[in-house]
Amino acid sequence: MSKAHHDRTHHAKKATGIGDPQCFKGEGGKPKFKAGDTVRIRDMADFFYTRCQTYTRGAVGTVTLAVYESPAAEDEAWDNTDKPEWFYSVKFRQKDLWPDYPSAFPNDTVETEFSERWLEKA
Amino acid sequence: MKSPTRSEVMRHLDLVGQLQPAYHQPAQAPYPDEIDHEHFRALLRSPHDIGGEADISIRWEEKQEEQWEANTFATCECLAWRGVWSAEERRRRQNSDVGQTQYLGLPYYGRWLLTAARIMVDKQYVTLTELNNKFEEVRKRYEQSPSR
Repeated sequence: MSKAHHDRTHHAKKATGIGDPQCFKGEGGKPKFKAGDTVRIRDMADFFYTRCQTYTRGAVGTVTLAVYESPAAEDEAWDNTDKPEWFYSVKFRQKDLWPDYPSAFPNDTVETEFSERWLEKA
Repeated sequence: MKSPTRSEVMRHLDLVGQLQPAYHQPAQAPYPDEIDHEHFRALLRSPHDIGGEADISIRWEEKQEEQWEANTFATCECLAWRGVWSAEERRRRQNSDVGQTQYLGLPYYGRWLLTAARIMVDKQYVTLTELNNKFEEVRKRYEQSPSR
């Protein structure tokens, strides 16, 4: 049974007057990565729900920012907020994501967010 | 057995067949040894993770927000304020749990509205029987309304 069923105000109690994800500040532990780190996106099991786009799996990008701490989408989507983790903004070269990307645009990038579990040092 | 309801049911079955996602291999009711790891991954792909899928461009038109869309948004926000769901649970339900046919086939706020009804049933704020009875009541009122 979801937590909301027995205490459906648990998130409101935590976030009211503070905001979300600010209410999870300090709960993600020490960040594993920092701006400038090169990371590879892990290709892990993703049953039922994830925000980690499949097209990024195995690709290498650069961390631009440790953005905030929050429960990972996999947990939060079932109302579980027990284990917040760091989220990172990661920038990829388009050429590294799409094999057929036109060579005429070598500087094109795409930047997107990942929770820490999806990243490993490259 | 001919009746307006029976012909509507037959038209419904035809249309559902045409709305199935195109998977250009025989794909109905496979035996277990016909599903390898690659097929399994493809079948479990969440419908909202569309990046990299081959597709054609879609028609885009500017449009005003309709009243029912604003009402739907407000209803869903109220459900969040009352702790019935978080934004992420709402997204999981309306972008992923709905499945590919509904994800691609329903208007954007149609998915919001359907999902709002679904969570009320899933978390037992209303029973499915109550929802269906309400729907029948509203349909009757609609059919009898002179403005139709």
